[in-house]
Amino acid sequence: MTEEMQKMVERIVHLIRKPGLAIDENTPLISSGLIDSMALVDLLLELEKITQMRIPPGKVQPRDMDTVAKMFATAQRVGKPRR
Amino acid sequence: MARFFNLIDALVAAPAERPFITYWSDEDEHQTVTFGEFGSRSRVQARLLSDHGVAVGSRVVIIMPQGVAAMAVFVGAMMLGAVPAFLAYPNFKIDPSKYRAGLAGVTANLNAQIVVIDDEFPDDMLGHVSLEDGASLLRAGDGRATGREDAVLLPKIAPGELAFIQHSAGTTGLQKGVALTHSAVLNQLEHLAVALKVDESRDSVYSWLPLYHDMGLIACFMLPMVFHMPVVMQSPLDWVIHPETMLQVITEYKCTLAWLPNFAFQFSARRVPQDEFTKYDLSSLRALINCSEPVRGTSMDEFRSAFAAVGFQGAALQSSYAMAENVFAVTQSETGRPSGPMRICADGPRFRKEHVVVPVADGTPGAVSFTSSGCVLPNTRIRIASDSRKQLDVVPVGEILISGECLFTEYFNRPDLTAAAIVDGWYHTGDLGFFLRDELYVIARKKDLLIVAGENLYPQDIEEIVASHPAIHDGRVVATGVYNPDLGTEDIIVAAEVERAAFLSDAEQIERELRNLIVHSMGVAVRTIFLKPPNWIVKSTAGKPARSTTREKLLGEHPELTFKSQETNLL
Repeated sequence: MTEEMQKMVERIVHLIRKPGLAIDENTPLISSGLIDSMALVDLLLELEKITQMRIPPGKVQPRDMDTVAKMFATAQRVGKPRR
Repeated sequence: MARFFNLIDALVAAPAERPFITYWSDEDEHQTVTFGEFGSRSRVQARLLSDHGVAVGSRVVIIMPQGVAAMAVFVGAMMLGAVPAFLAYPNFKIDPSKYRAGLAGVTANLNAQIVVIDDEFPDDMLGHVSLEDGASLLRAGDGRATGREDAVLLPKIAPGELAFIQHSAGTTGLQKGVALTHSAVLNQLEHLAVALKVDESRDSVYSWLPLYHDMGLIACFMLPMVFHMPVVMQSPLDWVIHPETMLQVITEYKCTLAWLPNFAFQFSARRVPQDEFTKYDLSSLRALINCSEPVRGTSMDEFRSAFAAVGFQGAALQSSYAMAENVFAVTQSETGRPSGPMRICADGPRFRKEHVVVPVADGTPGAVSFTSSGCVLPNTRIRIASDSRKQLDVVPVGEILISGECLFTEYFNRPDLTAAAIVDGWYHTGDLGFFLRDELYVIARKKDLLIVAGENLYPQDIEEIVASHPAIHDGRVVATGVYNPDLGTEDIIVAAEVERAAFLSDAEQIERELRNLIVHSMGVAVRTIFLKPPNWIVKSTAGKPARSTTREKLLGEHPELTFKSQETNLL
């Protein structure tokens, strides 16, 4: 797991607030019901911050955000460098 | 009398070289099409639709991302005399199963011949899209010229024919398809343009509003199309994630007219980072219209103070009462009045107990304040249906009924709902309000009214007080009533989202503070306040809290709220 992914995992653990919960970059988040799709706005903003990219939200679907690894792959696919 | 026979004639009459739609994604990605180019793209889409059997009267459902391509398909369908309807495009915030269920309900009701989607539409979101026999799913391109656009024969469309269907606000799946004729839409636009003093040589519209909502479709697409004005648009998602882009776009394109729902005034004032203020200039805005939710003076004050520093003129603040069933606007405040929409103070106890408005001086203890939605458009009539007996010097509060030449024809395929809504030519809006000195004041939805020990309470008032607490997320509060058979009246319960989940550890303290706030301002005690984590409240497609769905969720999670009376226990 990269340092950036680690930051995102920490953010998600903070968001879920379930004691003792361990997640990694491949843990399903939405499809498993750990986070609901409404929380994704926060996560998308966080992803923009961590990657220093601009991510057009219109090009992102729920399945693109289901794991931390997929989030970073989505940033790679649709993100643009920030000016 | 409208200037044009139908909406397509209005587009054809536009100067071909004039810029029409600018779609803005970010600084590096934006495109502008002229009226001429837009007409040509619409004809390409008409040809494509015609090749797939779309003809006069066919329903065409469009589920494409906000932008020029979707708009060209919409107009292309109208060119054929077909009846298009925009539906919300799926996005990462929408729960896939809810989206699929909503889509199935709406498409079944419209009985569409064709559903048009874009190339990138995720197949897993389609679920069960309901189509007529022989109907099809079509992926449309961007409508750039193919050389075939002139080959399709376009029918002559009479003013009384259906132009399109727009959906009333509501949670997905329960939305009603409001069927509108060309003449109803043109009549609305003529009168709205007069009320707004539209001048196509200097006006331009800014919008992030979704095209499946009346503000986005009528005010920000049909109005510019018929009055030949430019419109600069963004997607609602781009705006909600980066609300500062609204200021950036208005600054760059010097837009003069914009519409926003009430929550967006507060949201913008609180979320736009101040460190970039030097880049913005809102002085071009001459009307920023608060529309589609009850208008709150405090939300507009917040916007005015936040953005005065970037040239925003207080006189630009306006209000309007609008609904899909009347095409769009019923009222519009008078533009150019320096103080913005009228505000009045009324006797609080008499308002709650007798359901009447008795104006009192500003600052009177216990007074309630209201912000006007403006004067009624000339081709629309309003009545207030009130139960209170006639008294001198008081203004009755009641359900707003409307009639006139912009009224919708029917809820598509739902004669039952149409008959319940339009009685003797008057549409029963379900909204409560009052009429004072020629202006309409809208208070709340009738079904949301809480009746506690004979007093009429409006959930919005309680919600506003709760949302003013710093630990509560603004706009994410629902107040509702549950019947208490032991007391024979309703108890108020409140669900409120905290700003951060960490605040839940202080729940007791916050609840105590909220109770005090409510008792001090309204003189009533709430039975229970439920503090909920962020994103708990159910929202409608327009992004507002869906009060009744949230209420069901609350009752589901807290079955103890549903009282059993002693009599029931004996049975």
